[in-house]
Amino acid sequence: MAQEEKFFFESIQDPRSLRDYLQSLMDGLEKGRIVLSTGGDELTLTPPGLLKLTLKAKRKAPTSKLVLKLSWKDEPKAAIRSEDAMSIRS
Amino acid sequence: MTTFESLEENFRFMTIEATNLVDATLSFLDAPSRALFERIISRDDYVDNLKNVIENACFSKIHGGAEISGRMVDTIRSVQIMCANLERIADFCVNITRQVEHFADPRSLHRYDYKAMFAVIREGLARVAPTRRAADLAGALEICKAENELDALYKQHFDRIMAELSRGGDPRDLITALFIFRYLERVGDSLLNIGEALIFSILGERIKIEQFEALRQTLDKGGFTGSVGDIDFKSIWGSRSGCRIGRVGSRPPDAEDVASGSLYKEGNIRKIRREKENIERWARVFPGIGPRIFSFHEDGDHGAMLVEFLPGCTLDEVILSPNQELATNALFVLTATLHEIWAQTLTPRPCPTRFMTQLEERLEAVRQVHPDFERPERSLGLARIAPTSELVARCKELEAGLPAPASMLIHGDFNTNNVVYDHERQQVHFIDLYRSTEGDYVQDVAVFLVSNFRMPLRGRQERDRLNWVIAQFLDFAASFAEEMGDATFQARLALGLARSLYTSTRFELHPKFSKEMCLRAHFLMEKALAHQDAPWEAFRLPEGVLHY
Repeated sequence: MAQEEKFFFESIQDPRSLRDYLQSLMDGLEKGRIVLSTGGDELTLTPPGLLKLTLKAKRKAPTSKLVLKLSWKDEPKAAIRSEDAMSIRS
Repeated sequence: MTTFESLEENFRFMTIEATNLVDATLSFLDAPSRALFERIISRDDYVDNLKNVIENACFSKIHGGAEISGRMVDTIRSVQIMCANLERIADFCVNITRQVEHFADPRSLHRYDYKAMFAVIREGLARVAPTRRAADLAGALEICKAENELDALYKQHFDRIMAELSRGGDPRDLITALFIFRYLERVGDSLLNIGEALIFSILGERIKIEQFEALRQTLDKGGFTGSVGDIDFKSIWGSRSGCRIGRVGSRPPDAEDVASGSLYKEGNIRKIRREKENIERWARVFPGIGPRIFSFHEDGDHGAMLVEFLPGCTLDEVILSPNQELATNALFVLTATLHEIWAQTLTPRPCPTRFMTQLEERLEAVRQVHPDFERPERSLGLARIAPTSELVARCKELEAGLPAPASMLIHGDFNTNNVVYDHERQQVHFIDLYRSTEGDYVQDVAVFLVSNFRMPLRGRQERDRLNWVIAQFLDFAASFAEEMGDATFQARLALGLARSLYTSTRFELHPKFSKEMCLRAHFLMEKALAHQDAPWEAFRLPEGVLHY
């Protein structure tokens, strides 16, 4: 099974400071590479051209929530070449 | 027939044996071994036997028919009480030893400073024989005090273990460690009983530490001339005893004098002396706002002081009273009083603040309770997220260039429970003035606001009340700042609040709420740093940062 890599960051922001972070993520999405690091540990994401966007919003006084989720399937590292023969043995 | 001498001798043996058992238990915790375990068990058997011998001797002496003086009966009874408690201490040692087998890893206990608790116990036990020999009341009080010290150490371990449990630590090791600390705390209860028995044998009356007789000598030394019989000790060695809102306004008309209540404070001479000087200073500037001092005495590195127990309720209780009018009144009286104090004691000369230094000084204490609260360096693509240490260091530089424009007399530890509100007289009093000094009023403002914010209450109504108090007090402080032309008030307050929010997390174990305080502290530091190149007059405290 592939090893799970995680990054977690929690903070309080106001719209102004939030913009810097969102902008940095947008830049990464456009370039197809987002590097997230904590201490010395790095997690590199390579978002492709097509992404799935899920938006969820909820309000239950006194708390409101807006969840923005981007997800995608990573391309396999070495794509299977079409000329490779495939055989199935019983 | 048992002679009194042999009773004394056996008691001495018992004290030595109990002490040896404590030492052996400490060695066992350091490095458990089968041989040591067996030695501890057999030592305990010996202590049990000694206890029986001594008890038999005590009872037969008292009831043996021979004429003995009342004084002698007192002495024998105190020996019996001390002996029963020494035996209990020995039992606790055995219980601790038996706990060790439940550890998945016995070394996991070594992460905690259990030695400190043993040191307090050892010191208390070492005092028993000399205190008894010299009929030394101060020594007996010292033994009683071990209980307080052990309670405080137990609380630290308890908080830490709870925090570790809530973060998913190994329950087997953590709960075993907790049991061990609990037994050590109970040794403190036995030491208190021993100290009280010594006081009893010295003074000849069965008294509890809370009662005034134990302090007669302190009062005499302190030059107190009134009748000690008039004094009603409400609380000793603790903070205010529980105060009910119902007591507001029910003070008897003759409650002017000492008899209305006193509080005995005892401790390190520098601390006690400093508090005394501060109380006197407040009394000169604002008579009646602090407590009166009835007596004071020094003894080597120890000081003791008898201070007035001020009538009224602490502000935290008033704020949460169902009666909003009472809270409104209290807040009105408090802000009016503060305005007067600040305006009258104001000296217009720049006064540096120490918020970030105070934060640094308490980082280790926060780390012990919440090891994950210090933010490591992170990056989100090209955006860099500064670690906690860097934020503090940069804010410290920023703070150096932001002195308060004036200094005034401040409380120094302005928590809501250090303010007493007397509804009947429409007056507020300040207590625990140990940290009072000339300083920046923002220090008191920040501590007061955060002491409201961090009240561990989550009910909507209670939070609404706290939000209201915070907003009112913030308005008052901001208008005072405007009055005195304090252009950097909001910026200093951001740093002061960051400091108090962050350092107060060490008292808050609720994972979500303590995290919230930590995040808000980081946010405030980031906001202050982001503003650095703009004029400070334009800095505004982020709205809602104290709203919960």
